[in-house]
Amino acid sequence: MAGVVSVQNLRKRYRRRDPWAVDGVTFDLQAGQAFGLLGPNGAGKTSVVKMIAGLLRPDTGTVSLFGSDPGNAVARKDLGFSPEDPDFPKFLRASEVLDYFASLLGLDQAERRRRIPETLAFAGLEAERRQIRQYSKGMKQRLGIAQAILGRPKLLILDEPTADLDPMGRRDVRALIERLKASGVAILLNSHLLSEVELVCDTVAILARGRVLKEGAMAEVVPEGSNLEDVFVRLVEANQPQRDHLPSFISDTTP
Amino acid sequence: MNGSGAVARYTLLELSRRRILLVFFIIGAIGIIALGGGLKVLYQVAASNPQSFASGSVDAATFNHFLELLFVSYVFQALAIFALLIAYAIGMTAIYHDLDSGSAVSIFSKPISRLAFAAGKILAAIVGLIVIVGLLALEARAVMFLFGGGLENALTGQLLAVVANAIVVMLIVLSVSTWINNILAAVVTFIYYNVVTGIIATVHMLADGGLIGNAAVRNVFDVLYWLVPHQLVSSAIRDLAKAQIEIAGGATSNQALASVPAPSGAGDIAWWGFTVLAFAGLVYYAVRRRQV
Repeated sequence: MAGVVSVQNLRKRYRRRDPWAVDGVTFDLQAGQAFGLLGPNGAGKTSVVKMIAGLLRPDTGTVSLFGSDPGNAVARKDLGFSPEDPDFPKFLRASEVLDYFASLLGLDQAERRRRIPETLAFAGLEAERRQIRQYSKGMKQRLGIAQAILGRPKLLILDEPTADLDPMGRRDVRALIERLKASGVAILLNSHLLSEVELVCDTVAILARGRVLKEGAMAEVVPEGSNLEDVFVRLVEANQPQRDHLPSFISDTTP
Repeated sequence: MNGSGAVARYTLLELSRRRILLVFFIIGAIGIIALGGGLKVLYQVAASNPQSFASGSVDAATFNHFLELLFVSYVFQALAIFALLIAYAIGMTAIYHDLDSGSAVSIFSKPISRLAFAAGKILAAIVGLIVIVGLLALEARAVMFLFGGGLENALTGQLLAVVANAIVVMLIVLSVSTWINNILAAVVTFIYYNVVTGIIATVHMLADGGLIGNAAVRNVFDVLYWLVPHQLVSSAIRDLAKAQIEIAGGATSNQALASVPAPSGAGDIAWWGFTVLAFAGLVYYAVRRRQV
């Protein structure tokens, strides 16, 4: 299978005095593979996907996207990226945002006329006439996924794609991932919804404090009789200081 | 450049929907009509009174011409102020909103280079500025016909200078707002362009006019002058001042016009071109460095 993404010993920190946000991450992603990137808040998952999308520059290490540097615009031609908390030019409408992005993707007029209404219908935004500034978080999330698939990408990166979606929206995203995976598209999924990751991903990497704690096929990472959530919690808690789960004033019996 | 056209088109569409620009345009448009209409009413009131021109010192045609000169000089000032306001409004938002809202994350993950993005934004910002200020100038030109016209070329020349100066301000705000908060960027630009550069240009002008005797100070400001953007000035400002002095019966000596800025020369225009290129380059550099 062709290599879609190759990440080698990636390190990144935002300020010199900060700890490493990403610390020596290495993995490969092949066509038709669904790769789940898991980790607690601040584990470095979003930093990793942003470096793959060419949005952040690694301090050390290399990222190869379809064999090229993702900072190179041409390398991103077959990339679809749905960011966490997506946002768009706020005075535009959904159809205009998709037309804008279709232009950036180099789609011709005929292809735009075909794809944009279908993509809007998939996102449930076909009847929406308001500007983006009036959208809810969930609507922006759906538009975020819509713009990511508009170019029929060979790699789809979904960063917390279902965080603001209702149950029907989540089901649609799951079906989308299954369909794309079956057609040979590589999927990189960042999510806290471990049950979803377990359903759709065939490979996972669990990160904490910027390091990969465990990586492998789902069957290797999650032993028979266990589930991904148990494995995740055990691994992460073993690698970070224990927290008091409740503030003391909540535990007080007297008001 | 692939994608810069789309960036420019949709940035312009966004600008056309921004209320602040519409408000500036409406205030400017109403102000120009009110000014022209007010001065014309003043003329009509004066002309309708048989005593007004009885002394013979000023006839009706001269008075009308004087009012037209007054109108044009106010229009020059109004255009300069509104062009600056619009330049700040566009510069503070055209790139900053995309970076601040997170739109840039979706945009930059598409196959568009940062150079094409920056070029598209700059193009849209300049076109937006020219359209809004151009419409105000067009309106002013129409109002000038109330007075019989004849000063249209002066307006065109000064309009070019005003837009050229506003482009520089806009590019400075655009580039600074890529690094820092947009309000702070506007403050920094104001201090740099309107205060520091203004002081340097004024002292340099005074030194050129022989009003500063100290050679060392003159030399220092000669050097400083060529380190900051030069505000372009058309010949219309001096022509207008000359015409007003003549109507008032004064002599148009060099001394009388010393405090009126001289028209920009080829060196100033070339320096403006260099400044525009330098700040456009800075916008690109800031966009290229920006991690989102």
